[in-house]
Amino acid sequence: MDTFLELLVGNTLTRLIFFPTLACLPLLFFPKGEGGYRAVKIYTLAVSLIELALGLLYVATHMTWGGGFPLVRDGGESLDWIRSYGIRYDMAIDGISMPLVVLTVILVPIVLLGSWKGIERHWRSFSASLLLLTTGMLGALLAHDLFLFYIFWEVMLVPMYLLIGVWGGERRIYAAVKFFLYTMAGSLLMLIAILWMAWTYQSLNGGVWSFALADLLRLELPASTQIWLFAAFALTFAIKVPMFPFHTWLPDAHVEAPTGGSVILAGVLLKLGTYGFLRFAMPLFPRATEAAQPLLVALALIGIIYGALVAWVQVDMKKLVAYSSIAHLGFVMLGLMAIDMVAWQGALLQMVNHGLSTGALFLLVGMLYDRRHTKQFSEFGGLAKVMPLFAFFLVFSMLGSVGLPALNGFVGEFLILAGSYRTLGWPAVVATFGVVLAAIYLLKMVQLTIFGPITKEENRGLKDLSGREIAALVPLCVLMLWIGVAPQAFLEPSREALGRVLAEYRQSLERPEVTQAAIRPAVAVQPTEQIAEAGR
Amino acid sequence: MSRGDLMSLLPEMILTGGGVLVLMLEALVPRIRRSFTGLSLLVTAAAAWGAFVAWSWKPSPEPWLTWNGLVEMTGVTLALSLVVLVATALSLLASQGYLRRERILSGEYHALLLWCATGLLLMLRGTELLTIFVALELFSLCLYCLAAFHRQVNVASEAALKYFLMGAFVSAFILYGIALVYGATGSTRMAEIGQALEAVGRMPLTASLGLLLLVAGFGFKLALVPFHAWSPDTYQGAPTPFAAFLSVAPKVASALVLFRVLEAAAQGGAAATSGRWSGLVAILAVLSMLVGNFLALVQRDIKRMLAYSGIAHMGYLMLAMVVLDDASLPPVVVYLAAYVLMNAGAFAIVTMLYSRAGEQHLISDLSGWGYRYPLLGACLTICMLSLAGIPPTAGFLGKYLVFLNAVGDGRVGLAIVGVLSSLVGVFYYLRVIYVLYMKAESRQPEGLLIDGWGRAAAVLSALGVLVLGIWPTGILQWLWEATGAR
Repeated sequence: MDTFLELLVGNTLTRLIFFPTLACLPLLFFPKGEGGYRAVKIYTLAVSLIELALGLLYVATHMTWGGGFPLVRDGGESLDWIRSYGIRYDMAIDGISMPLVVLTVILVPIVLLGSWKGIERHWRSFSASLLLLTTGMLGALLAHDLFLFYIFWEVMLVPMYLLIGVWGGERRIYAAVKFFLYTMAGSLLMLIAILWMAWTYQSLNGGVWSFALADLLRLELPASTQIWLFAAFALTFAIKVPMFPFHTWLPDAHVEAPTGGSVILAGVLLKLGTYGFLRFAMPLFPRATEAAQPLLVALALIGIIYGALVAWVQVDMKKLVAYSSIAHLGFVMLGLMAIDMVAWQGALLQMVNHGLSTGALFLLVGMLYDRRHTKQFSEFGGLAKVMPLFAFFLVFSMLGSVGLPALNGFVGEFLILAGSYRTLGWPAVVATFGVVLAAIYLLKMVQLTIFGPITKEENRGLKDLSGREIAALVPLCVLMLWIGVAPQAFLEPSREALGRVLAEYRQSLERPEVTQAAIRPAVAVQPTEQIAEAGR
Repeated sequence: MSRGDLMSLLPEMILTGGGVLVLMLEALVPRIRRSFTGLSLLVTAAAAWGAFVAWSWKPSPEPWLTWNGLVEMTGVTLALSLVVLVATALSLLASQGYLRRERILSGEYHALLLWCATGLLLMLRGTELLTIFVALELFSLCLYCLAAFHRQVNVASEAALKYFLMGAFVSAFILYGIALVYGATGSTRMAEIGQALEAVGRMPLTASLGLLLLVAGFGFKLALVPFHAWSPDTYQGAPTPFAAFLSVAPKVASALVLFRVLEAAAQGGAAATSGRWSGLVAILAVLSMLVGNFLALVQRDIKRMLAYSGIAHMGYLMLAMVVLDDASLPPVVVYLAAYVLMNAGAFAIVTMLYSRAGEQHLISDLSGWGYRYPLLGACLTICMLSLAGIPPTAGFLGKYLVFLNAVGDGRVGLAIVGVLSSLVGVFYYLRVIYVLYMKAESRQPEGLLIDGWGRAAAVLSALGVLVLGIWPTGILQWLWEATGAR
């Protein structure tokens, strides 16, 4: 399995990543206009289900049952992309990325089902954007070469920009541009940091270039240098998470995005921020992480409390869910910053949990919006009487999000709090208030929408959920319950990978710090000599 | 004069002959005007073939100097010659529809464009300042005529006159610069100038002044700030398919000459002063990036927007030239290739989507047309993303190489200014995409002529942008080897 094409046809990550892109091409031949929408919808759903099957097949064939999920690699050493700069096509999956990859491939068909009615225009472009976005997300989750990661990270931007900007609400343009510029601002600085690291690597290694994560992890840098590089990486990821005070793009993007866009945004895109911390920022710059830990913990706590308080006062259901995302991801960040095995396991699980329960909540809000074209609480009330199924799913997802024992949220939050109490102490206590606040605002939402008397006449005639809508929600609810009652099955595969990252992190902190002079050799070697080497 | 001398100028000879042929046909059989585009494209392709034939005659990996060392051939000049020819081809493809629509189709246009390419090829291969000057005049005169080609439109005449007057001044600058440098060093050959400057301990004032005049002159051709004022007006008034050429091809050749001049200048004087030339380049780069991007932000006319964006792009290019040694050439070449594809592609598409020459080409006029013209809309989107530097496009690859060059030289601050100003750029490139896909249609298409040639230009440039962005491996490898042999 050497060439890219060979990888593309085998049971590989490459096929998983690029199948959605290739599946975009036939979209060109579907009829234009509304007549062809049905065919486009069915085709895209079929593609996303095949993608789901491919993903599950891949995971099933590589999973060592009972043990962890091993590190599996596509390409890597054998496959160069831009040889003059040592950029390799290096895709790998391990226990950290596996759950997020599975979450991604599960969410795509669900997003399609949730958008079936809500998207009324330009279905071909919608499908193409969604499929390209899938490629971008999977690529970013699986790339183990920093250059490749950056490419996929940016590739995600354009389809999401289109999803918000073309199919979004009234202020969609503002939201889409804000989303794009915020993300781009961070990532461009990260690009400079990546370039600096790659350059330093080659000047220390006799002109041999590499952007591979494994190689750059061996690069030992003094703390003062790490701070700057970490700042660039952390800014990028903090914007994506989003952490307070970089969160302002998120409510706009969520509120204006169509249902499907919100689900993908909350389900996967935000997770890439926390994933980036865990995979790149923290292992690459352990000393800087230590230094920045108090600040990041403080920001995570502010995010938890602030997100919850702001969610509490919202009158718009979608905004409430959006702000609850900020609070939930604050928990994930707290877990990551605790630098503790238990907390990390909780954080990784909570990433998945948030994707499931917030995804379900966004779907439910979208279903209500499809019927009434409003998301204000004041327009609803007493829906349980006319829409019992809707009420059931809303309560279920809400409970999952709140962290009721026996549902998914409880496990994640409990592990995060337990782990971070061990290493951080009182911040975990503060975060606990966040759990209480989450119960308050989410119960408020449920109470105002589905309980009490029916206040508006229009609501009496609302239809309950259709088979398609139930099909979108059931898989999410099943997973929520499954994680809640048998969390071990979901924690086990990632234990080994997390343990490895943690051990490496601690080891590199124990090594003596290198001096500033050690990373600045007198003469930089030009890449030409490397070519001559490679040519031989 | 040996056979090798003649062979080395094969592409230039093919282009000149082709231009003469088209002009003769125009005079003798004007009925076949419509086939001139095809014919000129064949001539361009033949010139590219000629460049490879000449390359195969190159006796050693060393730079091949012919005509008593007046003209050189290296990997870099070959690559840039091909880039110029690609720009010529894209402009030719876009112009057929325009010339027919405006009823000004005639052979002079094609002949002038081909001769223009001749001058550019000759200039980027010149190693001696007077040869460079002659080539510069050759292509400049063709450019002035082409800018004024749409005589009936007042804006075009005004723009062309402005361009001509400024250009004439600049020619004088360059000539005066050459004279001063000759006075100080006793030579007009680049290599000898560098050696002469190295030999004298302190940089003579006359040499500094002459070199500064040369930098200003070629900075004008590149539309660097503060020598940029001509470009928005000229682009706006000039025939749009010609703007596709004007905005890229002269910059390709001028960039290389400017690099050579700076390289020679940096050899002179003590170590303390030679760094000043890098500083000068850095100032030009920062000014161009900031002024170009911020002024592009407020433009409502797409041609003016592209003009200011071009200024900013030349600023990024200067970022690569801050490091004045041959290792900077691959980033420069790749950046120019990417710039030619995306910018000429964008102008080619603009040619087709706006009907009245001489009127404003408002960006908002494209509202909702991404769905009316899916192919052109998609190609324009790809060009805009590439101009914005979003992967996986050629524009990103170019920016990556340029920033890497700056970071590697320890100029992280400069690179940060670069990325922040490109963030400003993202905003106005995105606006085009937003208008194309997110606004309701505001205008019915009237008097447009969207022909196969133009579509081919759009598709080829968009594909080129993607291919260069996704599979740059071979090209980069070859360039490194080529510059290593220089």
